[in-house]
This record gives sequence, structure tokens and C-alpha cells, in this order.
Amino acid sequence: MYQKRAKKQAPKAPAQQDATEIMKLGEAGLIAILQNPGSPVFAKAKACQRLAVIGTKDAVPVLAALLADKQLSHYARTGLEANPDPSVDDAFRNALGKLNGILLVGVINSIGQRRDAKALNPLLKLLNDKDAEVAKAAAAALGRISGAQAAGALEKALRSPKAPVFPAAADAALVCAEGLLAQGNRRQAHALYSALNRPEVPKAVRTAAELGIKKA
Amino acid sequence: MAISTKVVSRRRILKSAVQAGALAAAPQIIPGSALGLNGAAPPSDRIVLAGLGIGNRGSVDLGSFLNERDVQFVAICDVRAERQEAVKKMADDKYGNRDCRMYGDMHELLARADIDAVLIATGDRWHSAASILAAKAGKDIYCEKPCSLTLVESRALADTVRRYGRVYQAGTQRRDIENFVHAVELARSGKLGKLRTVHANTRPPATTHNWLVGEPEPPKQVVDWDRWLGPCPWRPYNSLYIQGRWRGYFDFHGGGILEWGAHTVDLCQWANDADSTAPVEYEPQGNHVICRYANGVKLVMRDDGWLNQGTCAVRFEGDSGWVETADTGQMTLSDNLKAEHRAVTMKGTDPSTHIRKFLDCVKSRALTRSNADATCQTHVACHAAYIAWQLGRKLSFDPGKDEFPGDAEANRMRSRAWREPWRI
Repeated sequence: MYQKRAKKQAPKAPAQQDATEIMKLGEAGLIAILQNPGSPVFAKAKACQRLAVIGTKDAVPVLAALLADKQLSHYARTGLEANPDPSVDDAFRNALGKLNGILLVGVINSIGQRRDAKALNPLLKLLNDKDAEVAKAAAAALGRISGAQAAGALEKALRSPKAPVFPAAADAALVCAEGLLAQGNRRQAHALYSALNRPEVPKAVRTAAELGIKKA
Repeated sequence: MAISTKVVSRRRILKSAVQAGALAAAPQIIPGSALGLNGAAPPSDRIVLAGLGIGNRGSVDLGSFLNERDVQFVAICDVRAERQEAVKKMADDKYGNRDCRMYGDMHELLARADIDAVLIATGDRWHSAASILAAKAGKDIYCEKPCSLTLVESRALADTVRRYGRVYQAGTQRRDIENFVHAVELARSGKLGKLRTVHANTRPPATTHNWLVGEPEPPKQVVDWDRWLGPCPWRPYNSLYIQGRWRGYFDFHGGGILEWGAHTVDLCQWANDADSTAPVEYEPQGNHVICRYANGVKLVMRDDGWLNQGTCAVRFEGDSGWVETADTGQMTLSDNLKAEHRAVTMKGTDPSTHIRKFLDCVKSRALTRSNADATCQTHVACHAAYIAWQLGRKLSFDPGKDEFPGDAEANRMRSRAWREPWRI
């Protein structure tokens, strides 16, 4: 029996907000979008993402001003985190005293990602923050920055197994120990791994520490 | 004040005692599965498995896992309630019980001490984050490809797996499919002569920064949009994303090179004995990227010009011959190598052998074929190629440092900030 094949219709393209023209702009145009209070969230978000690739130190203050914006903070960090200019680290450090909650966690994460050693002192304070998520973020950032001071602080945190920051400090200690080994500080790396060899430490971390101690 | 006391009658006490005695004397019924009967492995030999984000491809993987007698699938975590229910049904139907537990928060699932390993098939944007969390929780990992969205994520994933001593298998199952394995062996064994060029079938690279128009967010217990996004930048909800149409959006997708390159570049890396390195040059030409390894071998990532043998094709060319094969199992060789032809029926999309080998490595603690380090290098190569394509210019790359020497613009594209509270 002959059957007509139904004509296949191409699916209609869904309606979209188009970023094409924004992504073609130079730094000045993108900064103008961010500085214009009438710019929609979409345009600002895209401007931040494009500045991640082409932004210079000129873009830093404009992006830093958005770190406190609940909707755009992450986009601002996106624009800043990849920018190698040292003023970015200044901006992130300056934001530490002005933010709290999840936005503060985000900035701490970016500091850790950039391994900003100048942020050591504020991070050491934040390790004892009453907001457990902030304290955990600070532990993780200290782990990435590594070094003797960070290692000492993490080792101290490991003496309080009931504290909410304890599991994060344990993981951070592993990362820190690897950093110490890379710096040639085998003695302190070994001490950190040994501090993890206790029953209160999560089993997965203890296993990792045993692996690490063989390299130390 | 009157004190009310509950008087327990002597009759009730006696009745309880009789019941307790009866229970102690009654024969214990032990299920056959606990004794390793009825085809089931005894509990001590079973790998307890859970799933994170199991959709279409994940269901294919899960089907293979459920066919293995030494696997017990116990839990599913998904941000979509209907997927939780669907996967639970798949497991419960298999085992003839209602034991599979459902979770919306992967931390709760990963905190379970009884779970040995996880199957991760969440969609690309979550693959590295979920794998890293699972490794830190002490779980072994089978994770669908691609395994990362950026170069930096790739390295962080490999470092974490190694740090925690976990067994990791990427869902690059073509490393265990006979026609691909044979083609790689021809390259590595010297039967093609000195290897000159390897070709990887990739997809058109482009992604978009557009947003679909926002729709009202469904209730969290139906779809948790915040968790669906995970480490990715926020954007308004649209149901098309969660129906699978997230591919092609820059925020959720590593681009078309990575989409198939996770498989085909991976095979080329293996063929060139380059599992611990990546090409040092990347030159975009249209939708192609021409790469060169330090050992002189050329890697061509292209989306066209293939023999009609199916998807995910690879071609290896040496001084003395060549071979091309793809997902249908078909293989074409240079005339002088016709005797090397193999007829293969297993399709390139079949994960069953790859999954079995993962399970064997979970037990033996041996390195898998698609381990985190090899997978990382494949992804580094794909990400570097995509960066070159986006910039529209030739790039040099130092695989020892994961850097583009002296190229600040390219280096800035190696990573993307993760949305709080998630961190690498």
C-alpha cells in the first residue's frame, strides 16, 4: 500500500536573547554597558563574560562594583578571575570586608583560585568565621595558597574535629601538603599528612594522606 | 496528685514472651541473593553503585551496570523528580523490590558509607564538579564524557582523583571496542610504519552565548533549577534546557570539538602514545584544527571528509599504510594491510565491555584504560583546540605547564569562575 510520507517540518527555533553584538564590543563599550543603570541583566552578564577575555585594569573597578550584586556577583567574578592584572587581587581582598554569606564565599573561592598569598591574613581570620560556609571556603583557599603559615593554620583547625570546618580543613590540608612538597618543604608536608592520620578524619582523607605520606 | 500508671497485664507479658520464644525458635529465611544464589554475587563480592543525573545516555550505561551480577544499584540523585522516579523504577524492576532510594542533594548520597562507586551522567556542566565531589567522598567513578568544560577543570579532576587514590573511568568506551582497539594497535605496533598523521572526527566547534527566553521556574521539588545550573552562570529557566537542548550553549557545553573529540581525539592520543601529553601547536582552518605533537605527528580535528562508516571516525596514517574506522564497526585499510581487516559487530556506542572493565578495576585497584590522567590530556588537547578556534589564530602550547607561552589572551580562556558556593 502506498503511503505518503508526511512532510517533515523543521522545528521552529526557540526565542532567544541574542548576545552576538555585545560579544563584538571592545572594552570601552562593555564598560559602558556595566556603568549604565538601565542596561538589562542579560547585557551586563554578557559584558562581564567578554571582559573575562579582553578586560584590562580599566575594567577592574567597574566589575568590582558588581561583587555585591546578588544577581551579577558571579558574572563580575568571571570577568575578574581570569584577568592577570594585580589590581584584581586588590579588588577581591577589598571585597572581603564588605561582603557576607554566599557572595563572600564566591570571592574567597576566586582568591583561592588565583592563589593570592597577600590574602593570607584575612583568610586566617575567616577560617574561624561563624558562618560555616565562609570558614570552609577560607580553608579551601588556604589549602590552594599553601605555604608554612597556611599549613600551620590548617593543622590547628584539625585539632577541633567537632567544628563544622573540620572536613573542609582536612581536604584543604591535603592540597596544602602537595603545595609544600612542590616548594620542597617535605618536613611540613609530612607533618600535615601525619596530622590527618587520626580516626576523626574522614576515611577518604586518611587514605589520601597515606598515599601522600609515601611521596613526602 | 494521682499518678497514672500503665498497667501491663500478666497475660500481655506472657503473650510477648511466647512470641519472642517463637521467633527465636523459628527457622531463619535467608534470601538466595545473600548466599550468592540465583545468579547474584554474594554481598561481600558486590560493588554498591549509585547514580548522579541519569538521563538518556546514563540509562544506557545503567542498563549495562544492572546486567552485571556483582553490582547492586542502591540510589539515584537527580535535580528532576521525574528522572528520580524513572531510574528508581529501572532499578526496582530489575531487583524485584522497592529499595532504590532517591535524593535531590548529591552530598547526602555521597555521604553514604555503603556506596562504593557512582555513575555520573549529569550533562557536561556537572561532570567535573560531581566527579571531584565523589572522589573526595571516597567513591570510585564512572563518568560520562566530556569530563570537563575547561582546561583547568580537566587538570583539577585528574589531580583530585590521584590525590584520593580513586578508580576513575571516563565514558570513552571506544577504548574497549574492538575495531577502534585494533586500529590503535596497528598504529602503535608500527604496522602502519612511522606514524605521521592521526585524524579525529569532531563536530562543528561553535557555541552561543545567547539565553533562551525565561519561563516561570517550576517548584524546586519538580526541578531544582539552581542545582541544575550548579557551577554554571545563572540564567533564567527554560524547560528546553532540561529536555536536553543545553548543547551548543557556551555556559553548558565545551563545544563541538570536545563533543566528539572526547572520543576521537582520545583514540588519536592513544594511537600516538600521547596519553601523558598533548599537542604543542594548534592552527584553526575553517571548522578544522590542525595540531602538531612534539614528536612531529600531526593531529587533524575535522568534521568532514570521512569515509561513510558511521559516527566518531578516526584515521591513522603512517609511512607504510593507513586505517580508518568508525562506530558501525566497519574498517578500511590501505591495500597492503587488507589482511589486518577485522569484522566487528559491537557498535561504538556500546558501553558494556568498558563498564565491566571499570568494575574489575574497582576490585583490583588497577588503572583503567580511560583513567583520569589520560582523559585529562585528551580534554586538554580538545580545549586548547577550541581556544585556538575561538581566537581564529595559531597557538603554541606547553603541555608540561598547561599554558600557552606568552599568550595572555589564550591563557585567560583556560578556565571559567565557578558559581558560588561551588569551587574547583
